[in-house]
Amino acid sequence: MTWVTWRQYRSQGALAAALLAALAVVLLITGMHEAQVWHAALASCGTVRGCGSPSLSNPVLMTLIVATSAVPLLPGLFWGAPTVAHELESGTNQFAWMQSVTKRRWLAVRAAWLLLAAAILAGAVSALVTWWLGPNNALTADAFEANRFDITNIVPAGYAIFAVALGICAGVLLRRTLPAMAVTLAGFAGVRVLIAQWLRPHYMTPVTVYFKLTGSYAPKGSYLGVSQGIVGPHGQPPAGSGSYIFNGSPVPAVCAKVMQNPAPCMAAHGYQEYLAYQPADRFWAFQGIETSIFVVLAAAALGVAFWVLRRRDA
Amino acid sequence: MAAIETTGLAKRYRRVTALSDCTISVPQGRISALVGPNGAGKTTLLRLLTGLAAPTAGRATVLGGTPRQDPGYLAEIGFLAQDIPLYRRLTAADHIGIGAHLNPRWDGELVRSRLAGLKIPLDRPVGALSGGQRAQVALALTLAKRPRLLLLDEPLAALDPLARQNFLGALAEAAAMKGEGLTIVLSSHLLADIDRVCDHLILLASSRVQLCGDIGALLGEHRILVGPRQDTTAIARAHTIVREDSTARQTTLLVRRSGPVIDPAWAVEEPNLEEIVLGYMRQDGAEDGAGPATRLSAVGGDR
Repeated sequence: MTWVTWRQYRSQGALAAALLAALAVVLLITGMHEAQVWHAALASCGTVRGCGSPSLSNPVLMTLIVATSAVPLLPGLFWGAPTVAHELESGTNQFAWMQSVTKRRWLAVRAAWLLLAAAILAGAVSALVTWWLGPNNALTADAFEANRFDITNIVPAGYAIFAVALGICAGVLLRRTLPAMAVTLAGFAGVRVLIAQWLRPHYMTPVTVYFKLTGSYAPKGSYLGVSQGIVGPHGQPPAGSGSYIFNGSPVPAVCAKVMQNPAPCMAAHGYQEYLAYQPADRFWAFQGIETSIFVVLAAAALGVAFWVLRRRDA
Repeated sequence: MAAIETTGLAKRYRRVTALSDCTISVPQGRISALVGPNGAGKTTLLRLLTGLAAPTAGRATVLGGTPRQDPGYLAEIGFLAQDIPLYRRLTAADHIGIGAHLNPRWDGELVRSRLAGLKIPLDRPVGALSGGQRAQVALALTLAKRPRLLLLDEPLAALDPLARQNFLGALAEAAAMKGEGLTIVLSSHLLADIDRVCDHLILLASSRVQLCGDIGALLGEHRILVGPRQDTTAIARAHTIVREDSTARQTTLLVRRSGPVIDPAWAVEEPNLEEIVLGYMRQDGAEDGAGPATRLSAVGGDR
């Protein structure tokens, strides 16, 4: 089956390898340039903060880098979705599944290689992007933010595994390539947004810091903000008339008459600002948790695919 | 020993009954023709025998076991599906490679020599071959598995008369080579072609088995009676009237006889296979406006 899988996918594998190589050339050349600029800047201004914000990257390259967030989806669309659907559509499953191999083993071997290839592809792109963004991250400390966390380190491999599994599952269920691709696209995007927006901030109990209304607070390094706002002296959210808003919170009645800047008044009455966040040292824990979630989702999708494949007529 | 034995085999899709109460037996070593109008359940029956589809009722015993997803079972069955599905972008040589990697007994040399004999190139994408060549490639690949049962679904449909001859020749040759070991079931519309290679018949119509047996025996059991238009009750008492055709003057009957037909009112003729098959197929078909009387007598027919 391994040989058969290789024979059927080798041209697509070659295409993927060629695209990966092209991307690698672009990123290696520009990445080395970035690093040079960065080290030169660091040498002249001494510290990161002292450098202010020299704009390191050109916007076109940055767009390319952010666009790599779509890379994990591609194996799902072009390998996962057609793998069973196209066979069913063209009837070739009746050739493949009438050799002396059960359809279950046929899919198991194929799925294993496709999952592995997708993980390697997404992992390689991610490694390049992670390396490329190194200086940028050191400067802006944004590794935890949505467009960085999702395209660096190990999570892209997890996404790719999920995309392929989802594609296979959609193909088995829908039996048509194009609908399966559409469902894979929508499902992948939906799950990614859902998890990034609603679930990711809550993988662990956030650290909450309180600080003076008149002051400011920035956690060290890269962090993932969960929530922020103002709380009263007993931890209660401020209650006010509603129409007078300061920093997103209603100004309490006692300070309602201070029109210019209610902050000192509120501070005097025990109001504080707070920030709940996931600190920088949780970055790898979060990468691990998110990757695991997607691997578990992939396993579930594959489970459904095998179950349906077994139950349904070929 | 029977290579195929089914009892009450049935397949229902959500609303459609594709096959019902199918009880057949095909002895080992026979070449059986599976005939019937479109939608009669031929493909369904073949797919149930391969194990690609599961029956909703009844059971099938094929080569002593139940059709199932199991490498040992699959190794014994060669299946050539309708429309000859092969990977269009892969070459015949690639297909030989696939077969070699997926089958315990694989005779790649057989495919190579057959295709060389037919001057079919091994190194061109299968999609670029003609329909006849593709069918030959598919048959060669199916034979290379060295199956004990060969199930072919409409392999002749796409072929021109010459390619059909070649194909049937190849089939007969393969059967002869394997001796008693190879059983073949071949579904087709082309009665004349079948007549030449098959010695066993399964006739399906309206999802039901109308006939199943040795072609020689079936020919012996049926007679065509021609006579002036007259009452057929006397004949119906002694024999089974399969089909009755009446014009203003003349009545033609296809009967399954229960003994010699001795009735001076009728001229008795021996039918050919096509006449028998068409007689049974027309029974249920509304296409020629078969009246209720004919249909009633058909229901009374023994199967």
